[in-house]
Amino acid sequence: MQLKDYIIRRLIILPFLIIGVSVVVFSLTRIGGSPVGIYLSHEMSQEQVAEIEARFHLDKSLPVQYFYWARGVLSGDFGWSGVSVAPVAEVFPKKLAATMELAVASGIVAVAIGVWLGTFAGARRNKPADHITRIVAVSGASMPNFWFAILLLIVFWANLGWAPIGRASPELFAAVPQRTGLYTVDSLIAGNLNAFFDALWHLMLPAITLGYGATAIIARMMRSSLVEELQQDYVDAARAKGLPERLVLKKHARRNALIPTVTVIGLTFGFLLQGTVSIEIIFRWPGIGKWMADSVLRGDQATLMTYVLFTSILFLFVNLVVDIIYANLDRRVELGK
Amino acid sequence: MVDFPQSTRRNAIDTIAPESALRVRWRRSTELTAKILSNPATVLGFAIIVAMFFMAIFAPWITTANTPDPYQMPRDWGATRMPPGTPGYPLGTTNEGGDVYYGIVWGTRMSLQLSITVVGITLVVGSIIGSLAGFIGGKLDEVLMRIVDVFLSIPELIFALAIAAILGPSFGNIMFALAVVFWVKYARIMRARVIQIKNSDYIDAARIIGDSKLNIYFRDILPNSFTPVMVQATLDMGNVVLIAATLSFIGLGEAGIAEWGVLVSEGQAGIASGRWWASTFPGLMIFLWALAFNLVGDGLRDALDPRTESSR
Repeated sequence: MQLKDYIIRRLIILPFLIIGVSVVVFSLTRIGGSPVGIYLSHEMSQEQVAEIEARFHLDKSLPVQYFYWARGVLSGDFGWSGVSVAPVAEVFPKKLAATMELAVASGIVAVAIGVWLGTFAGARRNKPADHITRIVAVSGASMPNFWFAILLLIVFWANLGWAPIGRASPELFAAVPQRTGLYTVDSLIAGNLNAFFDALWHLMLPAITLGYGATAIIARMMRSSLVEELQQDYVDAARAKGLPERLVLKKHARRNALIPTVTVIGLTFGFLLQGTVSIEIIFRWPGIGKWMADSVLRGDQATLMTYVLFTSILFLFVNLVVDIIYANLDRRVELGK
Repeated sequence: MVDFPQSTRRNAIDTIAPESALRVRWRRSTELTAKILSNPATVLGFAIIVAMFFMAIFAPWITTANTPDPYQMPRDWGATRMPPGTPGYPLGTTNEGGDVYYGIVWGTRMSLQLSITVVGITLVVGSIIGSLAGFIGGKLDEVLMRIVDVFLSIPELIFALAIAAILGPSFGNIMFALAVVFWVKYARIMRARVIQIKNSDYIDAARIIGDSKLNIYFRDILPNSFTPVMVQATLDMGNVVLIAATLSFIGLGEAGIAEWGVLVSEGQAGIASGRWWASTFPGLMIFLWALAFNLVGDGLRDALDPRTESSR
């Protein structure tokens, strides 16, 4: 199949998947009973309740309710967030910026360390360095990130007092205009280096915690694909023509080994996004993860469902982009299978 | 993946040379066991699992069970916030006087129940759905796989979190939520495997002998399709405990029960004042549990994958 056909086919399937996800999300909101509860108070009469139900179309059948719900979502109406006491759509972008800053920082940590560690281990196959990397990788995948966060806090916050909690020092950021919502970027735009380093300093521990698991996944993939590449004929050819081992690794094997790793880097994104929930609770990071956790505890369905819908759709798009990049990088990939 | 028939009665190879088939099978399984056990990491994983199972099964003997409900943390209000090494409390106590050691031991029992229930149910349900989709094919396959696609589109922790949140905080609801989320992977893996086997020579042979479809499905296809899902099931024994603990930590567990995620969450309050133990030990157990099953799962996958012969 041609690359273009493949992309078109994926794009055609995408809306159906999104509809499917939205049906699942909608069904979840109705399993918990009618959402009319949040509008009610004890003094209301039967007629008033019925009136409210009619106003929000809750007296109709479920498919009709789904239609009204979906129409609301499409026009940007995600409901009322009980936790934030504001419309979901209003609070969401600010919280999302905080989470994205954290996720991207962790992603950078994970890709940089993961690719390096994987190359390091793959080039030293079955040597002690390889075994140590393997242990680091497997333990990263098994580590409950909330526990790792607490361990780091015990050492660096409670005992050494080196690391802060929260997103930034408020007094420093009072003067910084928020253009993007990303504190590191905003402070750079404002030319306020103090604020920039403060933001970085706050970002450090949560990004390391969140990035660790992802580092493990990337390192493992990088290692195994590098090991496979190093056994290919073209590597022998490069060595035979007298290329130094360092260049064989850097110019030839590593470049090809990166191709399968790209897929894993994409999957890692979902991993990072999920991880933000517990990390944001522990580091008191005001992002969508902590928002989600708060709404879980307070039964705030509108916030919860917006979060699920948003992350799933984002996840779908990221996967699509990763697949396209992968197919572009490696023409041997059989498309449409 | 090693492809060899396991069903005893009707395979062509059995009819032609029953003894040699048996011998081949025996040799292969001993070779496989040797290969699995030759990896020290896998052996370490097995050792941790055995120790954990031991702890879970003998919990009532190695601690004094709390009455009436042993899964509730016992409270000793006369001994709150004791550090590890206090007589009677080897791993210290929590803010509410809960014995951390007790929580760890009974937490193993909860994790064992949770993982076996969730993995058991999802493995059976997913395998049935996946194998039927692969074996029957056509419309049924198309419909089932689109449902699987939708389920796989929602990140698993977030999906489980949403379901458990709607149902309300309880250990049973966490189990239910995990079951709803985890069956899909098995369905997909099983389907791929069944299709692969369906097109292999020995199924053709069975068809030529005149076996009925039902016979082929139950005797030839099902028994030979379980290897890949078993690897996934091993990994999931660790994953489900990890995710359940995360949900408990976020606040969907029952306060006061001897569950590792709940204990880490409750212990978190003490770290600012230097009481590190109440979170550290239960978290270590979650880590070791997940690590052990990951090591064994990885080892199994490596041993079963013929490609690793060259790339290890």
